[in-house]
Amino acid sequence: MNPFAVLINLLRDRTNFLIEISKGIKLESKIFSLLVASSVFLAIYGAIIGASHSWMQSLSSAVKLPALYLITLIICLPTLYFFDILFGSALTFGQYAALSLTTVSVISVLLFSFAPITLFILVSIHDYLFFQLLNVGIFSFTGIVGVKLFYDGMQSLTKIAANSELKSESEEVKPEYANQQTRDRLLQFWLILYGLVGSQLGWTLRPFFGAPSEPFQLFRNIEGNFYAQVFRAVLTLLGAN
Amino acid sequence: MTNDLIDLIIKYSELEKIVGLEISDTFMGKVYRSSLWRYPKRILSFLLTELFVFGLIIIFCLPVGLIVARNFNGFTEDSNNTVPFLGITLGISVAIACLWNLYMWFKVKEMKALARLLDEVDRHNEIIQGVQIVDELSAASNSGIVLSERHQAIEALNATRETLVCALMTERILRKHQRFIARRYELFANIESNLATLQHLQVNSQANEYADLIGQALQIGAIVRQEIDRLNN
Repeated sequence: MNPFAVLINLLRDRTNFLIEISKGIKLESKIFSLLVASSVFLAIYGAIIGASHSWMQSLSSAVKLPALYLITLIICLPTLYFFDILFGSALTFGQYAALSLTTVSVISVLLFSFAPITLFILVSIHDYLFFQLLNVGIFSFTGIVGVKLFYDGMQSLTKIAANSELKSESEEVKPEYANQQTRDRLLQFWLILYGLVGSQLGWTLRPFFGAPSEPFQLFRNIEGNFYAQVFRAVLTLLGAN
Repeated sequence: MTNDLIDLIIKYSELEKIVGLEISDTFMGKVYRSSLWRYPKRILSFLLTELFVFGLIIIFCLPVGLIVARNFNGFTEDSNNTVPFLGITLGISVAIACLWNLYMWFKVKEMKALARLLDEVDRHNEIIQGVQIVDELSAASNSGIVLSERHQAIEALNATRETLVCALMTERILRKHQRFIARRYELFANIESNLATLQHLQVNSQANEYADLIGQALQIGAIVRQEIDRLNN
């Protein structure tokens, strides 16, 4: 069982991977492999962004970045699972876990692919705010792509399930479609929730970069929120104090 | 490899269907295979898995350590405050990792029979590789090994394959339902008849290139019977 081979399978043939999840094929090994592969890639990217401060910050961010994504998932997953089964989903918790881990894995791979660029910027431009904003941009972009793929994946999984139901019991399909609309809206709401929880957890686990003027800190005291800080950073970069 | 040999190989995908667990060189289900200590490559793979699991445990224990440390001390610029956090997080992580290993150790004891059968499956597959090598050598040297001798080897391996599959099915049934099940007698009878076939084949092929391989197939059959007898008792 090679975790990275499982991830490559996901990237190469996502449809087949999703079909396997819907059939529950090797679900446990898929979950474990995606957990390991995404943690390793996120740890590498975390180490790079932490390197802008010191080696201790690099080590700390290498643990904190995978923690940010995986703990956000653990916090949000029960909401999706219980609400979805309430509206007629037949998927198991393991299937939801595997599905959502595909999102984190895709995000981790995308971040890893940005790593050389981030490293280049880190080495060539010594501007903390620019580096911070660039990474907010990268995290947002990879997050949006990952979430879009997750949304598409959920939709195609529902279609697979609906098709198999159509074959087995063609008369009782209409109420399923009504539930499907509700589940789609629920999924959209959950994705917003996921983003909000993720950003705030990121704020709680900070620093990931480490301000150059400050000594190394494992964590900072909780104050304010993520969105206010991004707003402040944009204003500072534009020259407004 | 010729088609008859390919058909004789017991692949991991087939094993997984028979055994009902995910099988790899290192693991059977969630438990490690005790034979891994004999192969350096498998040890390395196992240690890597341990490392990955420990890393994941640390990641998931991070919030617990954070909550406890924040409630007691808070985090200030003084780096001494990070010591309780690291202590708690690493302490819990090591404890969970130890529990996981302890669980595997107990499970390995319970699944000893399956582990032995899987080792015999590996050996069976290695014998097939051996037949393949003999085939290639005889083709290269044009030694003209009588076709019936090869046929006997294939027959022996066929019987071994069937024996192993029967034994693995029996083990699964016994693992899932510890009590009496009628089907297992049918499977035992199958194993016995296959063993008799193997013994007959060995007597007939004392002096050809495949004799050693047939002897090994017979050994596998005998070990499988021992294992099944042990399970039966």
